[in-house]
Amino acid sequence: MIFQVIHKTTYKYDNFVSYCHNMATLRPRDLSGQKLLDFKLDIEPSPSEINERTDFFGNYLTRFSIQEPHNELIVSSKSIIERDFNSIVASYNSSNCRMVTMSSAIDQLKTQLTADCLNARQYLLESPLIRKVSPVIKNYGTESFQPNRSVFDAAKELMQRIFTDFKFVPGFSDVATPLHEVFEERKGVCQDFAQIAIACIRLVGLPARYMSGYIETIPPAGQEKLIGADASHAWFSIFIPGFGWVDFDPTNNLIPENQHLVVAWGRDYYDVPPLKGVIYSNGKNEMNVSVDIREIEYDTQPQTK
Amino acid sequence: MPEINDIPCNEYLKECENDEVVGANNSINPHWDILFKNVQNIGYAALDSRQSDLNWYLSENGVTYNVYNDPNGLNRPWNLNAIPSIVEAREWETIEKGIQQRAELFNLILKDLYGKRELIKKGIVPQEVIYSHRGFIRQCDQIEYTTAKQLQIYAADIARGPDGRMWIYSDRTQAPSGMGYALENRLTIGRVLPELSNGIEVSRLSSFFQHFDNLLIDASPRKIDSPTIVVLTPGPLNETYFEHAYLASHMGYPLVQGNDLVARDGYLWMKSLKGLKQVDVVLRRVDDLYTDPLELREDSQLGVPGLLEVVRQKHVSILNPIGSRVLENPGLIPFIPGIAKYFLNEKLILPQVASWWCGQEKERKYVLDHLSELIVRLIDRPFNDSVFYGYEMNPQDLQLLRAQILERPYRFVAQERIGFSTTPTFINQKLEPRNMAVRTFGIATKNGYEIMPGGLARVAPGIGNSIVTNQTGGLSKDFWVVGKEPDDHKARFSLARPTNTIEASLDDLPSLTAENLFWAGRYVGRALSTSRFLRMVLKQMSFTNFNERKPTEKSLDVLFRAVTNMTCTFPGFVGDEPIENPVKEIYSVILDADRDGSLAHTMNMFFNAYFSIRNLWSSDMWRVFGRINTIWSEIESEGNVTTRRLIQVLDQLITRLIAFMGLVEESILIDQGLLLYFVGLQLELSNLNISKCRSLLVVKYDGQVEYEILESLLNSHESLTIYRHSYRSYIKIENVIDLILLDQKYPRSVAYRFNRLNKDLAVLPQSSASHELTNYEKSIFSGFSKLRLATRDELSRAEEETSIRENLDQLLSELSDLLFKASMSITTTYFSHSYQQNQLVNQSFDE
Repeated sequence: MIFQVIHKTTYKYDNFVSYCHNMATLRPRDLSGQKLLDFKLDIEPSPSEINERTDFFGNYLTRFSIQEPHNELIVSSKSIIERDFNSIVASYNSSNCRMVTMSSAIDQLKTQLTADCLNARQYLLESPLIRKVSPVIKNYGTESFQPNRSVFDAAKELMQRIFTDFKFVPGFSDVATPLHEVFEERKGVCQDFAQIAIACIRLVGLPARYMSGYIETIPPAGQEKLIGADASHAWFSIFIPGFGWVDFDPTNNLIPENQHLVVAWGRDYYDVPPLKGVIYSNGKNEMNVSVDIREIEYDTQPQTK
Repeated sequence: MPEINDIPCNEYLKECENDEVVGANNSINPHWDILFKNVQNIGYAALDSRQSDLNWYLSENGVTYNVYNDPNGLNRPWNLNAIPSIVEAREWETIEKGIQQRAELFNLILKDLYGKRELIKKGIVPQEVIYSHRGFIRQCDQIEYTTAKQLQIYAADIARGPDGRMWIYSDRTQAPSGMGYALENRLTIGRVLPELSNGIEVSRLSSFFQHFDNLLIDASPRKIDSPTIVVLTPGPLNETYFEHAYLASHMGYPLVQGNDLVARDGYLWMKSLKGLKQVDVVLRRVDDLYTDPLELREDSQLGVPGLLEVVRQKHVSILNPIGSRVLENPGLIPFIPGIAKYFLNEKLILPQVASWWCGQEKERKYVLDHLSELIVRLIDRPFNDSVFYGYEMNPQDLQLLRAQILERPYRFVAQERIGFSTTPTFINQKLEPRNMAVRTFGIATKNGYEIMPGGLARVAPGIGNSIVTNQTGGLSKDFWVVGKEPDDHKARFSLARPTNTIEASLDDLPSLTAENLFWAGRYVGRALSTSRFLRMVLKQMSFTNFNERKPTEKSLDVLFRAVTNMTCTFPGFVGDEPIENPVKEIYSVILDADRDGSLAHTMNMFFNAYFSIRNLWSSDMWRVFGRINTIWSEIESEGNVTTRRLIQVLDQLITRLIAFMGLVEESILIDQGLLLYFVGLQLELSNLNISKCRSLLVVKYDGQVEYEILESLLNSHESLTIYRHSYRSYIKIENVIDLILLDQKYPRSVAYRFNRLNKDLAVLPQSSASHELTNYEKSIFSGFSKLRLATRDELSRAEEETSIRENLDQLLSELSDLLFKASMSITTTYFSHSYQQNQLVNQSFDE
């Protein structure tokens, strides 16, 4: 399937901004089952400097500065993404995915010195937004993660439980809301649910990472629109030694297939905010984000002239 | 016990077990023997008074060390003990090699961690030791410097272990402090106790600082003769701010704060009076995570947004590189021997403290089994509050610690407890053995690392107390490497630059410094003018002035209202409610520091402004400043203050403010920014004169009252004598207006001050840029013209019905507006950093 994603962020400022520096994590990365076919970033006013690099986690990072005074900033990205997760999802039924128990997973993480395992181990550690996690959250995770249970099944159950136990309440939390507050109130948005799951998984001793991306907008006829469609979306991924990373979306109780489009991943939201920056100005600003996702016809063959 | 002839020294030696004085075979080290004889020659009583001289000297020179959350506030005096500690040159050679080896190792580790990460890939260092350390900055991944070494400055904390060898017990790689204190200690001992080194050849520090200077110049990515080098400080609240200012002024580089710098077009710029000036090298004292609020800590106001990108583009060098804090990591210690083998195929020259990283199962088990004997640290928290002394903890706390370790084992390291050696320390007129640690420094050169032949020694605050830090109030010592033949060809300490250095000019003045000088001028002017006026009012109130003649109720009332207007302490005497107790109100205007506009408040602002630019001060200025501070803190601590006492305090304050102003003028060069100080001072004095005249002269009063008011005005203006001399007449309004406002030859008149401002403003960089007047010049020029066009007779004429001098009122109000406009225009033209820096999205994370 081929999708076009238009992700537009608008900032309106009370006072003129004389100068600003920004960082955007908007260009989707390639991964097995997903390929970026085209990408375009439009910024208004036009930046005096702009460049792109890959970060520590392999995500694309765009940095730009605007020198002309402005009271509105529009950052708009257009991505054409090909996504085919069918065979990947099918592989979840294989025994080397399903049969790995938690205790064997923990054991393999310690003893297997493969590049994959070594790389995954960094997602065991506490991270900027997921640390000093309270024991109650750990207990919540332990209910699903038992030593002899399949890691895949446990993660799936955790996803379902978060979906059932937590209420999706936009505006209840923001980036700075501590994890335990979200947990106590059982309220939040997709990034909170992803981070709660990650906290649980790390505390039982398994690697988990934060996935940032989009989810397809148009609901099939007669079905409800999926949550997280008007904005960026987030979910989590868990590492199963000997198999690899498997994604779970606790906000929609779904195992991501072709409707989820990955932009970037990191230890938690802190590593992959879609847009952040420093402005030189006084006064307040107002932000507006819209995301539009459509399946499109796209000629993937190189064009000949 | 070894024998020497000196009885006190013998007594000293009886008390110690592992002491610097005692060498192999239980003998006195020969140089200590000489030092003891030198001490004996001085005598303990004389030494005691020299110790007082030392303390006095350091405090007079403003050598301080700030302690965070210290109830005594900022600027705790630096403590330097009279007796240096000694190490023999032959032993030092080995230590030097050991530190060189370690500096090189850390250089290679740093390069690897932000580059190929072979240490992790090959399993030489477990990744958790690095990845869970908050000083590992993922944003710095793959950043490389153009310099020969990635790690430019390395500091080692060393101490002598029970085996008689010097051990390395801690590494400092981020922004090591102490170099400036070490130099200041050396200079101070040399000045106050020169005879201590009689017969001892002490290695000089000069060539080390020469290397340091070369390091900064060579670090510039632009290969030019005179790169722009700045010292980046977090500001006056930082514990080692003295040292930042000291090094900056010693080496002749601007001391800047984050707000002085801006990243633009891929380069780093310093905001100077002239505009933006490209910066090549930053010697930073701001912690890693605070250096770039765009990419690192979003809430930092101490850094420069976009700095990391400039580094990435290799357009600036930061010393030490951002990200080097990851090396301040006791979790690395157990793996250092393996790393040395891997990179250098060498064994460690200097021993290090046995350490167990709890991320490993076997090690963790050992630590948990021996918790009550060990010292436990977090891998990235060097501060004392995060160090657990297992042997001092009760079972409950040990249990808690155990749980913490088990929860996140990879964050903890345990170290063995070591008794370090003691060194003779002069306390209460005798020598006491105190545990000692020394910080010494390595500087990258083209071929390796140059080690300071000396260092900053610190001794424990009490006997048997082995915790040695400045934060807990230790003493410092000079540290001598002795017995090495001097290299005659090496010049004495002077910063002989290899290339032509540029002369500092007003154009290059950092705008924050310029702003501080401007406000320093304004506050000192306000403090002086307000003190004089308040003194006059107090004298009137206590009838002590003017031949004990009692002033009329009416004139006192006018003066009170003028106090409120001048100080802007509204409602005060001009509010709707009459003030029942004027004495109380006047006291509050003088003493209530929480009240905006009060004299106490002005003094605080004055202290802040001066403290922020202390790198520009001379020691005389520091001394007078100290005295002003003392008068002020004394009166603030007194309970019931009498009017007489207040007058006395104001007298003292005024005298010292004047002395201080005189020193400012002769100690700071115009090009260093004195011009901005003058501009601020003249603006403020004009402003207050105008405000005073508006309160006192605009309304016409009858005979006696008017006379009293005019006399008071002249008196508070220190112009009574001049008036009598110039006019030889009864005090009349026309003459007063003439003298105070219009006389352009009289330095205290408003016309004179405007004229002076005209001339000073013309020298500022933007003024000289074009033939047209700048906005601030226009305002002052216009004000000056108005004063020149006015006549005393018109100004002094009052309307019959209202008794108001309309012309005077209008002129004064116009002048007041023009001054305000000029001040705003100067601020926006030159102090542009007053733009607030904000996050696009509010994020803040505790560390």
